[in-house]
Amino acid sequence: MTAYIIRRVWQMIPTLLGVILLVFILFNWVGGDPAYVLAGKISSAEQIENIRRQLGVDQPFYVQLWIFIKQVLTANFGASWSTNESVSHIMATRLGPSLTVLVPLLIISTLVAIGLALAVAYVRGSLTDRAVMIVCTVGLSVSILVYIIVFQYVFAYKLGWFPVQGWGDGFWHNLIVYASLPIIILLVVSVAPDLRLFRTFVLDEINQDYVRTARAKGVSENRIMWVHVLRNASIPIITHVMSQLPGLLIGAFLVERFFSIPGIGREVILAVERSDFPVIKAITVYVAVATMIVNLLTDLLYKAVDPRVQLK
Amino acid sequence: MSGMPRRGLAALLAAAIALSALATGPSLAADPGKVLRIEFYVAETGFDPVKVQDYYSQTVCEAIFEPLMTYDYLARPAKLAPRAAEAMPVVSDQARTYVFRIRKGIYFAPDPVFKGKPRELTAEDYAYTIKRFRDPANKSPYESFLGGVMGLDEVKKDAEKTGKFDYDRKVEGLKVLDRYTLQVKLKETDYNFAHILALPNTGAVAREIIEAYADDTNAHPVGTGPYMLTEWKRSNKIVLEANPSFRGFIWHFEPSGDPEDKARIAAMEGKKMPQIGRVEISIIEEQQAAWLAFQNNELDILYLREQFAPVALPNNQVNADLAKRGVTLNRTTDPDINYTYINTTDPEFGGFAKDKIALRRAIFLAFDNEEYIRVIRKGQAIDESYPIPPGVIGNDPSYRSIVPYDPQLANKLLDYFGYKRGADGYRRWPDGKALVWRYSSTPSSRDRELDELWQKSLERVGIRIRVDKNRFPEELKQERACQLLSRTSSWIADYPDGDDFMQLFYGPNSHENNSACFQLAEWDRLYLKTKTMPDSPERSRLYRQLWRMVEVNGVLKMHDTRYRNMLLQPRVVGYKKHPILLAEFLYYDIDDTRSR
Repeated sequence: MTAYIIRRVWQMIPTLLGVILLVFILFNWVGGDPAYVLAGKISSAEQIENIRRQLGVDQPFYVQLWIFIKQVLTANFGASWSTNESVSHIMATRLGPSLTVLVPLLIISTLVAIGLALAVAYVRGSLTDRAVMIVCTVGLSVSILVYIIVFQYVFAYKLGWFPVQGWGDGFWHNLIVYASLPIIILLVVSVAPDLRLFRTFVLDEINQDYVRTARAKGVSENRIMWVHVLRNASIPIITHVMSQLPGLLIGAFLVERFFSIPGIGREVILAVERSDFPVIKAITVYVAVATMIVNLLTDLLYKAVDPRVQLK
Repeated sequence: MSGMPRRGLAALLAAAIALSALATGPSLAADPGKVLRIEFYVAETGFDPVKVQDYYSQTVCEAIFEPLMTYDYLARPAKLAPRAAEAMPVVSDQARTYVFRIRKGIYFAPDPVFKGKPRELTAEDYAYTIKRFRDPANKSPYESFLGGVMGLDEVKKDAEKTGKFDYDRKVEGLKVLDRYTLQVKLKETDYNFAHILALPNTGAVAREIIEAYADDTNAHPVGTGPYMLTEWKRSNKIVLEANPSFRGFIWHFEPSGDPEDKARIAAMEGKKMPQIGRVEISIIEEQQAAWLAFQNNELDILYLREQFAPVALPNNQVNADLAKRGVTLNRTTDPDINYTYINTTDPEFGGFAKDKIALRRAIFLAFDNEEYIRVIRKGQAIDESYPIPPGVIGNDPSYRSIVPYDPQLANKLLDYFGYKRGADGYRRWPDGKALVWRYSSTPSSRDRELDELWQKSLERVGIRIRVDKNRFPEELKQERACQLLSRTSSWIADYPDGDDFMQLFYGPNSHENNSACFQLAEWDRLYLKTKTMPDSPERSRLYRQLWRMVEVNGVLKMHDTRYRNMLLQPRVVGYKKHPILLAEFLYYDIDDTRSR
């Protein structure tokens, strides 16, 4: 196991280098020169050159790339070009609001989707199953933007159950007052595809011989579904859920913008609008690292869930 | 104890009370219970006035810092008035020397850096503030505005060599004549320099504050203005509270031509300002969220963007529902212009040969401003044919454009100069090559609409268009290199004088902000003449002549000036959107008894 983990960690290095190179090339190719925006409305070539010099974008590409690599190695991405706020402070202060929305969402949506998947798979082919699938398909077809606009208008403005927008102080206050409606919207959006996917995983298991054997042995239906079937269906479910974890780092930018939640997603959009390379590259690298770590954890979880899995 | 010492003690006590009031809170008119809730729809970047350039950061800076000059709240066009200065500056030597006398007894807001002592504003603070614009380390977007001060070029050059700006070096253009008097000498005549010193960016900072918080001056704004920053969650929430050290002032302004000024004066005259004790600013990027929050009474003032204007302002008046709730509209025009230019140095479309001028004018004649205002602006703009917008000194509402919407004339011009249509219906250059107009725009939804409008316009005259999608920094880079053929751009007044707009066409400003890279010796000569003149009928006549030359040469098509529609809850009293001032909450009040 230890050797496997060391090997996987070792493999992360070339992957990370690839990410660094890709981000660097993409930004320099399509990112535009931020000095022209930062220089202001009336600025001379000399002023623009001074800004380029201070930002370091006048350096040869290989020097800039080396600086980027050093930043990744030291986890110090410097400060935002637009606001001078340190990137570490941006990450530290914006991650909390994003996680306040996304962690409860991930937990609730996974539990709800698993529960409903087991239920509808159990009554496969029935009217209930078909009705739920139709609702899911319709739900999937509607853009998240429509959900946001309609829910914000109806539940926040018309009914007044939630504030229209905003963010306050304190985790619980934010979770209950400000994050509830965004969580509900994202739940509605995410449950439909998850439910369809999990249902197929459960259906793959429900017709297996071990289920028939368990029934023949008189095992209760609840135990069959929640213990035997769910355990065997859990590997693809784990894969799916874990693959969503790195996404927590980049937040849910649409919801964050519409509800004025000061999260990472909103910050990413701001950084792109401002050509704020230090922020963009830090977030990209963090997401890449998180993805690699989560992939490793997923593999380890496979082993924990199913001892037959061999890690080589 | 004898009577004499008692009187002496009383006098001492009175003096101590007076001093402490001066130091800690001579104004205190602001009521902490009066909370104003407003929104910014773009996130701020910081509050070091020398370093910021966005409208939102500047708004906060204007509330915290005090420039030497300001503008009269009610007067239109905007009229200069002293702020930290005692009076208007003494201008001499053909507007090359300005002397400002600073009010005594202005104090910075308390800060630990001052070690509990009141810190008075002096002329040195303004000299230091002006020098900061030229310090390369500050990368000030407003550096060029202070570029005319004598002697600072040399200090800057040395700073570029040594890496350190010498703030202690004597500079000929900045002389502190005494504790409260600052003399500024300029390299050239500039009648607008007092306007420059009304920019919120020129508000005085204390050197010890800047040096103490050198790592992040954006996060530690300490000024002498009416408000202090008490809470800042970046890109989310900004809270300002009344500065206890602010001296305050009595509300007294003369009415302008606006009939609503009478009601404002009746409500506000004689009040000690500021009245509002706390200003809460939320960053709400999405218009839907801001619109619903305003209707939900979570905001007191809403800048209504074009998207919701048809809903909120049918027939240009607040809808029945809003009217029932006492919501009112304050509408003004922004001091801005929006236009499309064609690069006059472009190898294909540029130059001043008759056929090239005719081609450019035909392109402009094909564009319908009315349709543009209806589709893009949702009716929330006025057709503008003069490059100096309303509310800015030098505006000429009587000017008539020579490139109105006239596709017939455009077709005739093109036919006459040999731009014949090919078999595909599109025109070709006189030598038979395909004629394609290159137009640059960003990937935003508004720009996509604009692309379509231009496409439709040019279809009318048979000119093929190629839209190049660029990100904004890339557009600017190409534009500064005079490599962009055309783009729809805008300019908003930095100060309310026509010169801020006419300089957009000055030849030597190519590669800076003369986007069309227009260079004509005669034009430049006349423009330089206007620079030596204060506002006068003669200068206005020259402006008209200059603009006519730009139009005649087919350089630029003016489109519009936008309305700024501000929706106000009934509790807001005395509000009037100023074309230049940003933090107007210094001048109006909140009255909760008027809430419905």
